Amino acid sequence: MNSFGNELQTSWDWRAAGNFMFGGAGAALVLMAAAASYPNSPHWLVGLSSLALIGLGLLLVWLEIGRPWRALHVFFHPQTSWMTREGSVGTVLFPLALMGIFMKIPALIALAGLLGLAYLYCQGRILKATRGIPAWREPGIVPLIIATGLCEGTGLLILMLAALKQQQQWLLFILPAFIAFRAASWLTYKTKLAASKAPPKTLAILDGIHPLTLWGGNVVPFVLLIAASLLPGATSLLAGIAAALAVLSGWWMKFTIVARAAQVQGYAVGKLQKGRPNIKPPVRRQKDKFVFDREYKRLAQD
Amino acid sequence: MTRYVMIADLNRCVGCQTCTAACKHTNATAPGVQWRKVLDVEWGEYPDVERLFMPVGCQHCADPPCMHVCPSTATGQREDGIVTIDYELCIGCSYCTVACPYQARYKVDKAEFAYGETPMESEAKLFDEKRLGVAQKCTFCADRVDAGVEQGLTPGLDAAATPACVNACIADALSFGDIEDENSNVSELLAENTWFQMHAELGTEPGFYYLWDQEVAAEVAANE
Amino acid sequence: MSAVLKEKVKKVSTYCYQCVNGPDLLTVEVVDGVATRVEPNFDLRGEHPADGKVCVKPFGLVQKLYNPHRIKRPMKRTNPKKGRHEDPGWVEISWDEALDICAAKMNAARQKGVQDENGNPRLAFTTGGAATPFKYMGSFPALLFAWGPFDQSLGAGGTVKCYHTEHMFGELWHRAFTILPDTPRCEYLISFGNNIDASGGVTGVRRHADARKRGMKRIQFEPHLSVTGANATEWIPIKTKTDSAVLFSMLHVLLHETALDKLDVAFLRERTASPYLVGPNGFYLRDPKSKAPLLWDKRTQQAVAYNTPGTEPAIVGTFFVEAAIEIGADEECWAHEKIEAATGLEKARQLIAECTPEWAAEIADVPAATIRRITNEYLAHAHIGETETINGREIPFRPVCTVLGKSVNNGWGGYECVWAHTMLQVLVGALEVSGGMLGSTTHLAGDTDWDRLSTVEAGEDGFMRHTFTPTSKAEWNKAPINRHANDALTPMSGTSMGQQLFGSTTLAWLRLQERAAASWPKPNPPDIWFVYKCNPAISFSELDKMNDVMATFPFIAAFAYTFDETNHYADVIMPEATDLESDQLLRIGGGHYFENHWESEGWALRQAVVPPQHEAKDFSWIANELARRTGLLEAYNAVINGGACGIPLQGEGYDYALDLTQEHSQEEVWDAVCKAASHDLSGGKEVHDLQWFRDNGFKTRPYSRLNWYLHPLMEDNNLRYELPYQERYFRMGQELAKRLHETDVHWWDRQLAEYTPLPRWHDLNKLWDELIEKNHKVRAADYPFWLLTGRSMQYAWGANVGIQMMKEVADNVFGHDGIIVNTGKAREMGISDGDVIEVTSPVASTRGIARLRQGVRPDVLIMLAQFGQWKTPYAKDLQRTGLNALVPMNQDYIDGGGASIDGTKVYITKAEAA
Ligand SMILES: Nc1nc2c(c(=O)[nH]1)N[C@H]1C(S)=C(S)[C@@H](COP(=O)(O)OP(=O)(O)OC[C@H]3O[C@@H](n4cnc5c(=O)[nH]c(N)nc54)[C@H](O)[C@@H]3O)O[C@H]1N2
Ligand SMILES: Nc1nc2c(c(=O)[nH]1)N[C@H]1C(S)=C(S)[C@@H](COP(=O)(O)OP(=O)(O)OC[C@H]3O[C@@H](n4cnc5c(=O)[nH]c(N)nc54)[C@H](O)[C@@H]3O)O[C@H]1N2
Ligand code: SF4
Ligand code: SF4
Ligand code: SF4
Ligand code: SF4
Ligand code: SF4
Ligand SMILES: [Mo]
Repeated sequence: MNSFGNELQTSWDWRAAGNFMFGGAGAALVLMAAAASYPNSPHWLVGLSSLALIGLGLLLVWLEIGRPWRALHVFFHPQTSWMTREGSVGTVLFPLALMGIFMKIPALIALAGLLGLAYLYCQGRILKATRGIPAWREPGIVPLIIATGLCEGTGLLILMLAALKQQQQWLLFILPAFIAFRAASWLTYKTKLAASKAPPKTLAILDGIHPLTLWGGNVVPFVLLIAASLLPGATSLLAGIAAALAVLSGWWMKFTIVARAAQVQGYAVGKLQKGRPNIKPPVRRQKDKFVFDREYKRLAQD
Repeated sequence: MTRYVMIADLNRCVGCQTCTAACKHTNATAPGVQWRKVLDVEWGEYPDVERLFMPVGCQHCADPPCMHVCPSTATGQREDGIVTIDYELCIGCSYCTVACPYQARYKVDKAEFAYGETPMESEAKLFDEKRLGVAQKCTFCADRVDAGVEQGLTPGLDAAATPACVNACIADALSFGDIEDENSNVSELLAENTWFQMHAELGTEPGFYYLWDQEVAAEVAANE
Repeated sequence: MSAVLKEKVKKVSTYCYQCVNGPDLLTVEVVDGVATRVEPNFDLRGEHPADGKVCVKPFGLVQKLYNPHRIKRPMKRTNPKKGRHEDPGWVEISWDEALDICAAKMNAARQKGVQDENGNPRLAFTTGGAATPFKYMGSFPALLFAWGPFDQSLGAGGTVKCYHTEHMFGELWHRAFTILPDTPRCEYLISFGNNIDASGGVTGVRRHADARKRGMKRIQFEPHLSVTGANATEWIPIKTKTDSAVLFSMLHVLLHETALDKLDVAFLRERTASPYLVGPNGFYLRDPKSKAPLLWDKRTQQAVAYNTPGTEPAIVGTFFVEAAIEIGADEECWAHEKIEAATGLEKARQLIAECTPEWAAEIADVPAATIRRITNEYLAHAHIGETETINGREIPFRPVCTVLGKSVNNGWGGYECVWAHTMLQVLVGALEVSGGMLGSTTHLAGDTDWDRLSTVEAGEDGFMRHTFTPTSKAEWNKAPINRHANDALTPMSGTSMGQQLFGSTTLAWLRLQERAAASWPKPNPPDIWFVYKCNPAISFSELDKMNDVMATFPFIAAFAYTFDETNHYADVIMPEATDLESDQLLRIGGGHYFENHWESEGWALRQAVVPPQHEAKDFSWIANELARRTGLLEAYNAVINGGACGIPLQGEGYDYALDLTQEHSQEEVWDAVCKAASHDLSGGKEVHDLQWFRDNGFKTRPYSRLNWYLHPLMEDNNLRYELPYQERYFRMGQELAKRLHETDVHWWDRQLAEYTPLPRWHDLNKLWDELIEKNHKVRAADYPFWLLTGRSMQYAWGANVGIQMMKEVADNVFGHDGIIVNTGKAREMGISDGDVIEVTSPVASTRGIARLRQGVRPDVLIMLAQFGQWKTPYAKDLQRTGLNALVPMNQDYIDGGGASIDGTKVYITKAEAA
């Protein structure tokens, strides 16, 4: 049964998109920086910019919400809300990462790195949980968000280390792997989405960016990186271009998915049935161990 | 126990929007905000065309994605299935809005009125600052239902305990009642008619049912 | 919300009569003196056909009340130059000054005589909304009647663009100002452009929804898939203006392809003029002595007077009559001997002998098989022979009905359609019986619009009494009073108080433009024109010319809610108290316009739920003031006592009459009316005053459903419906032709030609092409589309287009924001949804947004509701197009009864891409 009225959602605009672009890249940067420097601290510039990116993402979200001064309420629902979880991970990540950057405690550095990965994962799950937006709820979104985050983070790290003259060769080998992972995720994501009931507009927009995303954003940087490893003379130049492409294409892809290909589910008539429906009780009936009791809520907001 | 659901009889609905207007009155929603509205849809190609009016709004899902994603627990659910929003907890992140597969939710950031910046007396009287910057949607007129039940009335049968849109519907297309009561008005309507739920496949278990004629449905399917 | 509930809340009962389907009762929630919410009035559950609910329109009344664009106090113009592009230069004045200005004009006019040198009234009054504003005018009508002759011929488009033909013939045949199906029982309903789910109000929608649930089949013939078509069993996209062909072919199926005994022979024989024999000159053959029409008695094998007891009349066939007379126009009499004569029904059979479904299929773009199938389903569902017993009275049960929309009713072709669809009822005996076609109310046959039965009494030739404006040499009015000369040109408009409304208001405007009635002098505009709640500058046709004429009127006093396109030309503007701010007692229940038939009847109060905003004044107060200032107080009081407020204040066993010499406040007036009404209703047992009605809202008593049907009365009085043959109408037409030709009037001949005893079928599409080529010097082929309109449940004409919430909710229904075009056709023309298109008729063009839809014929465009406002606040900013500016006004487009079409041929071009 064809659905109707699937226009573009307007609740999450470029600001929300920004959180996925910068926050995702930043989180991955935390991970890769940690991995790259372990057991030592990453260069403070690298470390801080990774946090700055995450912070920028969160700032943009804060600018979008209707009741910014209640921002703390975001922490009230860790049990099921991936937004609470992202927020919580972020809150732990910041102090740990800062400590990791300035006091060389390997455990903290490692932990921060893992939290970066967790943060990235949360972002994937946030999108997957939006049942109203076919382009987001597609399960393939999770690996895609992680893959592109890793590409972006690694790409940024490569660029920064190049600037700091501290390049690490293995990054130039892992990035092509991430890119391959991203390309694969992108392709499966798109095929699965096409197979699902995604709005035609959504598919059209994604098809629109497909060639450039696949070739410009994945194949070309992949080839450049291979070339980089084969032509020692041009390594840093080619790797630099490849890294930049990997980052920008990722951001462009995420911006498109969040801000442009986010047509709503739409309405539809369903399959006709006869007779009494077999009804399921409201989930809230199973005495929800999760909900805070009212008093706590009241306290929480004052 | 009790679970409240609503039924819209698509064979009766004429798209008059009386329910839409009644909801706007009862809940004093801002211009452009329609917790209840009725779509005007068309299928097929001339001359084999079907036109259908379809009331939509919050489906008070038994398993509501909006609630699960809500980071502030502002979106809750009552034992009777009514999905609620606590305007004082809500941070206005709109996560619920994108999580809802039924386009049921709205957010208004700044006060707007029918004729611009300044409210008419009637608007001023009902204006509620709490509604700004937070998610809002159909409440199933929970306040009416509760007030009615307190007086020992039966929602869906006694007007004072029944949602305003249902009371107002001029075609008697809308019904409201307790689906967990085998003999309630809604249970009987569903037992006697062919019906569907919207996006049932998403597992949201909507508390909103559509009665629809088999023949018409068949024609629509044919014209697709 | 909960905060609000804590405060003082009261619920006030009142009624809505914003559209013709009223009145419907509602309650308004008032919070600390502020009206906040509209709710149904469930106290009427079980009595009101929609259980006390109201449609969406009254929900706009709260915004209407507090609308910042309201006229807040009286105003006068300072710029004497009137014109669309002139600024009137309004300045606010006191009520005193405003009323004095009006009174001065009125007194001056009285001095000169209430009629001008042409005999036309110097005072004219126009209201719109199909006369519903009378339900809001308090005691103002009493002032008008106290005044003496006043002209109502400057119409706003109502009646002539409504169900005009049904109004006139419906009342003649079965007291049907409009008709309705007995929906609660009907099984099979065929609608030709009757858009009931948008136009039938709350009661119509509810009754039809219940009927569909019950299994009633509804077949919708309509060029576009309207709101009503959406819920029809079958939508048949008939070609515009070809309904008469389909209707005639349905008659053909019943009269030429069906055995006679399958029809309701008894009904045709006893209750109709089917057996009456028609003579060679087209008049009934009559008994030379008694002058009674003759019929053929099968038993004695001879022609006998219709009222001869114990006959067995033949309903079809041609018979050999020994001796008879025929009486034609002006008593002309022919004596015949040994002549052949056919029965009335035989004549009808001959009329449609060639009108096969195959013939109609060609014309109407509807398959012959479909026409046959539907006609036979209709016949099958008629249950001929079955009866129902109501309160011990057995009446026929014929649950089938055919209904026509107003666009099928008005203008050329109306006569064919109204006659043919009523004949479809007659053939199966489904007229005024259980389940069949009923009349709603009367405005022409009598002035008791709440009790049409009281107008049923024996008249000539075994028919109901029905008076036309006289056409005999002696009585014909050579000096017509009203500017549309209904009293001279359209005898069908009758002699009731409302007669003026049924004349050709189109003609009045054309005459003022010197575009019609060539041999008559151009009438003067009225010295004083009162306009209230109508907007001819938007709602009538060929609007530019309408506007130019209005600009020439010397003095226009407008009762105004907001500025609008008509009061833009006014000299004085006065804000009357509107729907939720004013008092009036009104009859409810019984039978009303459209589907508002109840099984109880009584009275309801419209009351000020809050005090009037700003300086708005109750209409009754205004009437009092003007009555005093014009020295008409005594006459005015007398008219009120006589019943101008809905019921005489003196009656059987009661006397609440006002002292003639005193001035009475509006409360005193309505208090007396409340007492008289409740006294009359309860036979004196329960007398209630105004305050009681304020507290309780309404009072009813049971009303037997038997009163819904004329059948029992027709049977008791042994009367016949004046069908199929229209002898009186034919004679009247011939007399009228003589009268007009005697006075050298030949410009009405096209209209006179319609006065045939049986309607001749016209190819209307061909006719329109000829007429536009003749009148506008264009090639008809260049205008391939029919531009049509359609009702919108959310709007009452143009009356509530300035209400934000109505616009908001109406926009959920497709097409309000543009022009509906067939998707395939548009693509073919390179037009996509949202493009701006230019629509051009032979007289004007307009621009609007193309809205593409499959559910409309490729040769049809639809402009919903009534837009095109350029002055009305809020509405003008919506930039929405209306069709009226494009609809030509021309004497050739006026039908025999004086009505005109509300559509036009157009072409479209793409103006800008979306
Ligand atoms: N496009 C189009 N035109 C049509 C028709 C159509 O179907 N389509 N139908 C035709 C028919 S059948 C009819 S009956 C006529 C009806 O058309 P009209 O008889 O002209 O009635 P309205 O258009 O409702 O005019 C109402 C006017 O009164 C003003 N008004 C509203 N409320 C109040 C109030 O409370 N007090 C005062 N003083 N003024 C008020 C509004 O501003 C508006 O200008 O239209 C005809 N014209
Ligand atoms: N909500 C609301 N209700 C109203 C009114 C209102 O303004 N608002 N006005 C009241 C008044 S005054 C009137 S007169 C009535 C009129 O009400 P209706 O006559 O029931 O309906 P309309 O929609 O005005 O008529 C236009 C319809 O006729 C169709 N039509 C046009 N030409 C043809 C044709 O040649 N053949 C056929 N078969 N169909 C055709 C059009 O497609 C359109 O659907 O509504 C009354 N009820
Ligand atoms: S319809 Fe949407 S808002 Fe309502 S309960 Fe379901 S998911 Fe939540
Ligand atoms: S907008 Fe409010 S209700 Fe919706 S998810 Fe965010 S906090 Fe929860
Ligand atoms: S139930 Fe109440 S809140 Fe929900 S749509 Fe109806 S009137 Fe509005
Ligand atoms: S009020 Fe009833 S009939 Fe009208 S649109 Fe709403 S549901 Fe449909
Ligand atoms: S149908 Fe609607 S607008 Fe018309 S009188 Fe009734 S309530 Fe008022
Ligand atoms: Mo009308």
